[in-house]
Amino acid sequence: MTGSGIATVARQEFRLRIRAGRWRLLLASWFGVLLLFTGLLRAAVGGYNDNDITDKGVVLYGGLMLFVLGLALLVVPALAAQSVNGDRERGTLATLQVTRLTAADIALGKFAAAWGTALVFLALTLPLVAYAITQKGVPLSRTLVVTLVLAALLGTVCAVSLALSAVLSRTTTSGVLAYLAVFALTLGTLITFGLVTAMTTETYTQTYSNACPTDLPADLPDAQRAEILAQCGQPQTSTSSRARTDRTWWLLAPNPFVVLADAAPRLPEETAEQRRAREEREARGEYQQSARDLDPLGSIGNAVRDLRRPPADDNTGGGTAVLSSRVEERKPVWPYGLAFDVLLGAGALLLTTRRLRTPARNLPKGQRVA
Amino acid sequence: MTDTLEHAGSGIVATGVRRAFGDVEAVRGIDLTAAPAEVTALVGPNGAGKTTLLLVLATLLVPDAGHVRVAGYDPVHEPDEVRARMGWSPDVFGLYDNLTATEYLTFVGEAYRLGRARARSRAAELLEQIRLPEYADRPVHTMSRGQKQRLGMARALVHDPEVLLLDEPASGLDPRSRVELRELLRALARSGTAVVVSSHLLGDLEELADRVVFVDGGATVGEHRLDQLPTSTAARPWRLRALDTDKLVKALARQGYDADPPTPAGVDVWLVSDEAAAELIAALVRDGVPVVACQPLGGALEAAYLELTT
Repeated sequence: MTGSGIATVARQEFRLRIRAGRWRLLLASWFGVLLLFTGLLRAAVGGYNDNDITDKGVVLYGGLMLFVLGLALLVVPALAAQSVNGDRERGTLATLQVTRLTAADIALGKFAAAWGTALVFLALTLPLVAYAITQKGVPLSRTLVVTLVLAALLGTVCAVSLALSAVLSRTTTSGVLAYLAVFALTLGTLITFGLVTAMTTETYTQTYSNACPTDLPADLPDAQRAEILAQCGQPQTSTSSRARTDRTWWLLAPNPFVVLADAAPRLPEETAEQRRAREEREARGEYQQSARDLDPLGSIGNAVRDLRRPPADDNTGGGTAVLSSRVEERKPVWPYGLAFDVLLGAGALLLTTRRLRTPARNLPKGQRVA
Repeated sequence: MTDTLEHAGSGIVATGVRRAFGDVEAVRGIDLTAAPAEVTALVGPNGAGKTTLLLVLATLLVPDAGHVRVAGYDPVHEPDEVRARMGWSPDVFGLYDNLTATEYLTFVGEAYRLGRARARSRAAELLEQIRLPEYADRPVHTMSRGQKQRLGMARALVHDPEVLLLDEPASGLDPRSRVELRELLRALARSGTAVVVSSHLLGDLEELADRVVFVDGGATVGEHRLDQLPTSTAARPWRLRALDTDKLVKALARQGYDADPPTPAGVDVWLVSDEAAAELIAALVRDGVPVVACQPLGGALEAAYLELTT
């Protein structure tokens, strides 16, 4: 495997792609759809007056990135799903394999071309991202991390599609399976999580006691007063059922949407200065809604982190102090998901390389060498 | 690279090559040697195992058994050494329609690690050699079948290989392209290349090859120099032409020869040997028949082919 070998293959693939497809049309429609989405989303969070809602960028950016991921998952499998078996069909693969390019050169070169094309699509969203950022509230760290994670996720999809094209001899089969693989990662993880979680449902018994009230109304009838005083202070039990998502959360982790949302750094806390400014405005009677509360990335991320949390066994009456300490217990889910997805992609590239290795000992049924 | 001298100019040696695909044994004992500076023809019916053998020699398939050396190296364990010295052109074009001839050959040159500049100059050289310089900047899909075939040949020559493997290079070519192909291959052989050609065009091979290897049913059934082909004992057709066809037919009937009905091309007679042909001509001349031509139909190669294969 050599860098120049990979570059030779990647350049060639890229050139062939550019000449074969109607790229201008494809890229224009991609951008058009995203532009339309951004426009509609902007109108939806707009309010009557520009000053009604602050930090609109949070909603715009988060919504846009989730939408980009969804749309990219529809486009990207097609970029690599017929790469190897298509070359086999056209008889061009064997003529590459007899050159001094290694199997890894060919596999990684093809991957680089597919991933590079996916990144071109991603780069086209930058003007819209820039616009979302001008709408305030999006920290730079969030845009950096989200972009990197998006790129990595698209790489995984390219690698898996490429491996399918190397393993299966028919281009239609690998094309369909590439989309099924994306389906498995997105809806599949969600469905599996739902079904498996249902099986973990357990009943549990809770013991609790209420403190005796000291400020009962003076006009309360004696009978009632006696009843309340008799029950308070006594331990009581109640039985209910709950799903143990702390045992199944990892089924959701590889979901690209979960990885992306949870990896996005959370919005910074309100600074003392911002709080003072807000309180002053509120004292004057000017209320502003903040789009921070609608953060799409953060809320998905927090939701999956909450799933990961084991249930508290002695739920002895809530209280804000308890609740906030529980929030800090939220542990991230995305490192597991991203690691899984990246390893999946790496494994797919390894498999592709193995399938491209010549001289070949075993050929899959129906597969010709040349 | 210390053993370059030892390996230099060693052509191809393959003995006892076997290869099965599932239950089907495509090759079950082919022997083939191809010396440098010679053209070796690989001849046999469809399905005889020629393509499979070439795939083994081209480092694409692992043989189940047998000893194989290409340019002195083992294609299974030293494929990169073999690839650096071997060119292979399959029976399909395998070209990219949207590239120009120069772009394509430059890409192949880079794949053979010639470096960009060398690959580009080599592409120009080869386009001259295969007489397609006017296609340098035109896309492959505008080329005719014969031109694509020549481009495919140039692809196999990009890295100036010692060993050249060609699978049916002339199929579907017009007569002029076939003559040009023949000249190109002869020139390569003169410059020291070991050329192996599989083909069904026995007439072409007769003028091109130095040696011929007959394969049938996955095994070698004969390996001969072209000037030492086994003489057949079976009767072969000879074609006679005379100024007066009627006189010729009557003379043949009188002398009891087994002749086919006359056609505009002449009269075909079945003879067992060159001596029999000489005798016939003498007899006809004695009889006063104005004979103008007497030649064997199909070459010696065709005769040997029909004799050796089923």
